[in-house]
Amino acid sequence: MPVQFKDYYKILNVPREASNEDIKKAFRKLARQYHPDVAKDKKAAEEKFKEINEAYEVLGDPENRKKYDELGSNWRDGTDFQPPPGWQQGRAQGAPFSEGSFEFRFDGTGFSDFFEQFFGRSGRFDGFSDFGHRQEYSDGEAGFARRGSDLESDILVTLEEASKGSVRVLTLQRTNRKTGQARTQTIKVKIPPGVIDGQIIRVPGMGNEGIGGGAPGDLYLRIRFAAHPDFRVRGADLYYSLDLAPWEAVLGARIVISTLQDRVSVKIPPGANSGQQLRVRGRGLVNGQSGEKGDLFVVINIVVPEKVTEEERELWNRLSRVSHFNPRNS
Amino acid sequence: MKEPGNAKEESTQELQPVEHSMRAVYTIEAIADLAQVPRRLIILYCKHGLVVPASKSPDSGWYFDDRAIRAVRRIENLRNAYGMNLTGIKLMMHLMKEVERLREEVRFFHRQ
Repeated sequence: MPVQFKDYYKILNVPREASNEDIKKAFRKLARQYHPDVAKDKKAAEEKFKEINEAYEVLGDPENRKKYDELGSNWRDGTDFQPPPGWQQGRAQGAPFSEGSFEFRFDGTGFSDFFEQFFGRSGRFDGFSDFGHRQEYSDGEAGFARRGSDLESDILVTLEEASKGSVRVLTLQRTNRKTGQARTQTIKVKIPPGVIDGQIIRVPGMGNEGIGGGAPGDLYLRIRFAAHPDFRVRGADLYYSLDLAPWEAVLGARIVISTLQDRVSVKIPPGANSGQQLRVRGRGLVNGQSGEKGDLFVVINIVVPEKVTEEERELWNRLSRVSHFNPRNS
Repeated sequence: MKEPGNAKEESTQELQPVEHSMRAVYTIEAIADLAQVPRRLIILYCKHGLVVPASKSPDSGWYFDDRAIRAVRRIENLRNAYGMNLTGIKLMMHLMKEVERLREEVRFFHRQ
């Protein structure tokens, strides 16, 4: 099944030789602009946001980026794509969700077919859709009922969706390999508030059809958090990288930070160092399964000015003469 | 859920959202039925630590959640499709979990 090529560099608007830092910056800028919670035209922004996220999943990870670059630079966005011979695909034997005699295509999960096929779950060594080349049972075995096999797919969820919950519409197209007959099913799935990354949502009966009157399998949706422009997630905790000027770090400061719920004023103690973490209790995510409430960690990142004026240089010079501080003398 | 210009036979009916309760628990009989796996096998998987009950007390018995159903289905799949034994499955599931955890860590640090 051909998929359409995605030009992730074009999506993030960065050159192919962009550094990791450039890619991160480009992602943050676009993600802030198109974040579904802030954009005016929500529907269009949501599509764009998903695309940006997918591009960042690939280009923001050196291993995935290398794999993507191996495809070459001649492909144009949106054209039918066939990988070069011998190119290792995420899913075993080509087609996404190959399960015996059916081929599956999901829509509404937040990931494109291109991504699913080359960077999707099975490529990540988990998920059993590519383990699942089940034996075919002939009609001769009448009377032997067998439950249909299960399907598994990732579903992209924003942090805001995860904390408030949402309803997602998914379409699942099954194509019979022998007859070429396609059947499309649409399902609405409630994402309950408090889901966490990696959590499984079981949709009963939406897997493969059973054999000989057996029950159908289930569909397992695995929650995958969209990268957020400001926060990184670890379990139920959020991490926020706070840039500080050297003097703010030395003298201490009070800085207002927007959390997912509100705005909090954080007191930076004098002498804060890069990498130091300050905990803001209870401003993380809520784990709906355990009821555990995560915290927000503010990670200090000291940024040095790239350009200084004559006057500033003079002041730094004076400081260097006066100060006895030696960071290499511990 | 009618979308003009995109009329498909299946989409003419009103869709009911699939509700998912994160704290839903099932008895061993219920998950045996849902996963279509005999009860004695589920007990065996529990003894080997492949499936972990959500709660396990002498008076209220064993209760399982959706994760357990997925684990049971997955074990069945590894047994049927690959002929793996329980020791192999245990190792495989442990490694898959470990790879997943490490990938998450890598993702976390790449985004720093």
